[in-house]
Amino acid sequence: MKLKTKRPDDEIPTSSMADIAFLLIVYFMVTTTFAATRGLDFSLPEEDDQPPVVDKQESVLVKILPNGSLLVDQKPMEIGDIVPYLKPKLDANPKKPVIIQPEPQAPYGGMVSVFDTLRRTKIIEGRGLVARHELPETFPEEDWDAGRNINISIPTQREIDSFWF
Amino acid sequence: MALKAKHEQQPVIPTASMADIAFLLIVFFMVTITFEKDKTQVSLPQTELRFEVPKEAAYVSITSAGQIRVTDGEDTSVPIQGLQDVDSFASNLAATYPDRPVVLKADADVEYRYVDEVIDSLKQSKVKLIYLLSDQKTVE
Repeated sequence: MKLKTKRPDDEIPTSSMADIAFLLIVYFMVTTTFAATRGLDFSLPEEDDQPPVVDKQESVLVKILPNGSLLVDQKPMEIGDIVPYLKPKLDANPKKPVIIQPEPQAPYGGMVSVFDTLRRTKIIEGRGLVARHELPETFPEEDWDAGRNINISIPTQREIDSFWF
Repeated sequence: MALKAKHEQQPVIPTASMADIAFLLIVFFMVTITFEKDKTQVSLPQTELRFEVPKEAAYVSITSAGQIRVTDGEDTSVPIQGLQDVDSFASNLAATYPDRPVVLKADADVEYRYVDEVIDSLKQSKVKLIYLLSDQKTVE
């Protein structure tokens, strides 16, 4: 009779594998930060030696005050009223520049929201100045892309000091 | 005589697939991880319009107290003394990486004069494109 010896099972111990893996997971979870990776682009003028001469009289001046409120052409205005105010002016002259001039103590967020508001509008052939959400859903995307952007200018304090006064 | 079952089943929790699940999670975190160049905590302004910022970009961050940190996009950001150092950073950046955009990560509540000085330095160094980092604004 053949004797059957009891031998241990040949097995790779995998129970600690999960421990190692979870350790790695915890490391990656702790170090992961969901980075903010989106924002508004802001092109600077190409050749700066002679900055584009913006005629102060011919343009619309949006001032941002230290408390975050707005003065558009010296008149106090809510942010939602800027586009309706600009529409007749820009429909008459699409090249009319809009100058955003935050005061030194004004919050940066104020400038960004005005810039965002203006960037969301375009001058569309036949419609004039419109914001994207005012257009019907069916409005073709390529017609929107073909629209003309508002001529926005955000001069720095140095430029204001050296060119305007 | 009491009958004894020959092979008693040992109660075992199957843990073999645990590692598979764990490694799946690891792969997910490894793929999604981005080592941020700048870890400054700021409350960003909110905009409706947002564009993807290129990966190869320099960062300038400004906290609500006006503390500025900069990086050319190769290393993690370092604090700088004040606004006068932004000029040297901007000219160095423009000399080393002429076409690199600059991401401005400024707190929504910071006084605009800090942002103004930074933009002015970047303009003078002929930086072509700036991104104003923002959070998504929800439409009411």
